[in-house]
Amino acid sequence: MRVTDTYKFGSWLLVLFTLTAPWVLPLLVDSFWVDIYSEILIWSLLAASVNLLLGYVGLLSFGQALFFGFGMYGVAIGVVKFDLGFWSAFIFGISLATGMAAIAGSLAVRLTWHYFAIITVVFSLIFYFTALSWKPITGGDDGLPFTIPPIISFGDYKLTMTNANFQYFFIVTIVGACYWLMYRVINSPLGRAFVTVRENDARAALIGLNVYLIRLTAFIFAGFIAGVAGALFALFGRYASASYMFYHVSGEAVVWAIIGGVGTLFGPIVGTGLMIVLREELSSVWDHYLLLVGVAVILTVIFAPRGIGGAFKALAEKIARQQFSRKESGP
Amino acid sequence: MDLVFALALNGIVWGLIIALIALGLSIIFGLLDIINIAHGDFFMVGTVLAWTVLQTTGNYWLAFLLVPIIGFGLGLLINHAVIQPIKNAAALSIVATFGLSIILQESVRATYGAAPNRLVAPIQETLLLFGIQYEVYRIFAAAIAIFAICVFFGFLHKTKLGTWMRAVRFDPEIATAMGIPAHRIYMVTFGIGFAMAALGGVVAAPITTVDFQGGIDILPFCFMAVIIGGLGNLEGTVAAAVLLAFVEGIITSFTDPTIARIGSLIFMSAVLIVRPHGIFVGATR
Amino acid sequence: MSNVPLLEVTNVNKRFGGLKALQDVNLSLETGKLHAIIGPNGAGKTTLFNVVTGTIPVTSGRIKFLGTDMTNDKIHRISRRGLARTLQIKSVFANMTVRENLWIAAQSHHGVFSPFKSWKKCVRSVEMADIICEQIGLTSLADQTASNLSHGDIALLEMGLALATEPKLLLLDEPICGMGPAETEQTVIKIQEISKSTAIIIIEHDIEVVFKIADEITVMANGTVLAKGTPESIAANSDVRNAYLGDDDDD
Ligand SMILES: Nc1ncnc2c1ncn2[C@@H]1O[C@H](COP(=O)(O)OP(=O)(O)O)[C@@H](O)[C@H]1O
Ligand SMILES: [Mg+2]
Repeated sequence: MRVTDTYKFGSWLLVLFTLTAPWVLPLLVDSFWVDIYSEILIWSLLAASVNLLLGYVGLLSFGQALFFGFGMYGVAIGVVKFDLGFWSAFIFGISLATGMAAIAGSLAVRLTWHYFAIITVVFSLIFYFTALSWKPITGGDDGLPFTIPPIISFGDYKLTMTNANFQYFFIVTIVGACYWLMYRVINSPLGRAFVTVRENDARAALIGLNVYLIRLTAFIFAGFIAGVAGALFALFGRYASASYMFYHVSGEAVVWAIIGGVGTLFGPIVGTGLMIVLREELSSVWDHYLLLVGVAVILTVIFAPRGIGGAFKALAEKIARQQFSRKESGP
Repeated sequence: MDLVFALALNGIVWGLIIALIALGLSIIFGLLDIINIAHGDFFMVGTVLAWTVLQTTGNYWLAFLLVPIIGFGLGLLINHAVIQPIKNAAALSIVATFGLSIILQESVRATYGAAPNRLVAPIQETLLLFGIQYEVYRIFAAAIAIFAICVFFGFLHKTKLGTWMRAVRFDPEIATAMGIPAHRIYMVTFGIGFAMAALGGVVAAPITTVDFQGGIDILPFCFMAVIIGGLGNLEGTVAAAVLLAFVEGIITSFTDPTIARIGSLIFMSAVLIVRPHGIFVGATR
Repeated sequence: MSNVPLLEVTNVNKRFGGLKALQDVNLSLETGKLHAIIGPNGAGKTTLFNVVTGTIPVTSGRIKFLGTDMTNDKIHRISRRGLARTLQIKSVFANMTVRENLWIAAQSHHGVFSPFKSWKKCVRSVEMADIICEQIGLTSLADQTASNLSHGDIALLEMGLALATEPKLLLLDEPICGMGPAETEQTVIKIQEISKSTAIIIIEHDIEVVFKIADEITVMANGTVLAKGTPESIAANSDVRNAYLGDDDDD
């Protein structure tokens, strides 16, 4: 009882904070933290896509940046080259990422273990180098900036993301929808099948699960989520760049997911939030704060491989058990 | 035509250096079941140490001796502090070594600095080779790499420690049961892996730039050699490294080097999916 | 009675490199019997289960299940046709509860993997999980994580996993291995109960148990079938006595 209560309380707190952030954050700290919080929300989706694979089907992808990049470039190329409107560009980006995930996934999920990690890096590197050298389309190193089209326009009135509050709530809505979707899927029969494959793939096949198809579905879903993150980030930053497809970006997402705790829905938000706040706070005072990140990663893997989320879960369960046993033995 | 020849030759030289580094990666993967994302940085640390030796002593030749020894020590240290503690979480080894990679790069940036440096090669002469003027140092570098690779294979096949390493690779449990100190073998393996990458750094430093990000380019190449050559197939790794660098060198003379790299990566994916044990037929072990 | 055999193994060979793990194995099995396979270690019994369930491909030969050829078919397809097995090295989904273990097995057999419905609302599988829980006697442990179970309970749960897929044929690989006497007795009773509704092939080392429960016994040695028949005829078979039952059965 107690465990689910703490979860509920934590989730509500997160929702409340998110909904009031544009007014609360400027009061507490500085208004640029609203933008940083938007960024955290967007990047947390990339970490969430790592989490879907690692935490729910047990595959460590080191190439999720590929789908982030496809989402990003889909939007930018859609606007710049095809003159698409806001929504069509957004959907184009996400479809591109999801389609890529279907193709890459159909090959990658044939492999498991370290081989899966390697091939996901390799796929992302192939497209990273392609984006670098295909300058007319991607802008290469310089990236592809664009002017953001309006979301709706009635005659003269245009609603665009240049309105800061509107931009924030647009991001919140999309990110929120993604988490809702992940919540539904994780608690669905499909989500159970994910976990079953993670637990024991040989056994899963013997009870009749099509392990390949389940892994592929998870991979495409994760690619979709990463694609949404990339599309949102393109809209947020008004540009796309090859550098976001490099494996360091994938690696960072893995780090965020692991520090936050894989196998928990909100772990990625916690991990991403913590690491980005750390970066914002530390990078200005200490040039070599990355040393701290490296150490934190290693310590997490050694001492808390289930991350903050896992530690919290264990603690909550322990408290619940103690209360239970006290009730049992009490008068 | 001269350019093609020079680039092909450069490719072979690089291939041999990569082979040396990739062998380290391969034994670490094979014995410890660890994907070492920091392996490129081991190489980078080698280049920086070589630069430091030159700056402090003024004698580059010393680096060939000192840097592998320092690398071996660093390997032991890292093995003790990072690798052994994560042995039971091998699935996450890639994440831990990613952290290690960040630490190594950032430490070098903090001490050595962010600006890349170029080293003057200890041999300046050029040689007329099949109609082109070719740097003698590159030929020397290739010779050193070949020598080191031969020493490594000799060590693996002719010494007790090397035999033990092969035994542990074959089956750790049986090896332990036979009284082979597996723990110490892991330690030595990691040390040797670092030392080889560091030696690669010393050899390569005069023909590349010394930069805290210098490992980033090397890493994918090493993985390509290991995968295409076949995991655990050490001779295959050497062959694949040389072949790949040679082909990339030739392609580079026609078009953008990035295209050559993309081609190799696609080839590597195909190998991973179709022939995960490498392209060299019949090679088991 | 229909004359299509439940399982028909024809001239199956399996080689591991130079090792012939199965040599020209022929086996035909009718519905509704409890069939046992015995034989010394390394005889190829587990390998036979492996090729039948698609876990490893055969080198040559054919395997038919209910008249349909399914040689080298995909593991999950074979399972969905109604062939379930337990493994010699017990294996369940460790970080899931007993109930969840059984639920997924039931769902994978007849359910759809909807991405949106809550899994707890898939009533049929939830009920099935409860029924199986009762049947294998783990109801009191239903909400325990599988990794907390005792060795014997894991073996039972694994049998439950197989049962939850409502198999037509159940392959049990040394199900009572490692159990204490009391657990063994209970499990044997359960196996006999199950065999009333489901055909079973059991690999078992405990000869006493085998002769007590089996309707039919196949003896394997060195990858070949040595003999097949009723317990009485097997007990009387001098080849078998020499090759397998040996001296410790001198009555
Ligand atoms: N995957 C495999 N690879 C190589 N040899 C195997 C494999 N599986 C089984 N064997 C060999 O096949 C033979 C039969 O094994 P098995 O079927 O497990 O025997 P049983 O179950 O009757 O004790 C043994 O010699 C065993 O070593
Ligand atoms: Mg067996």
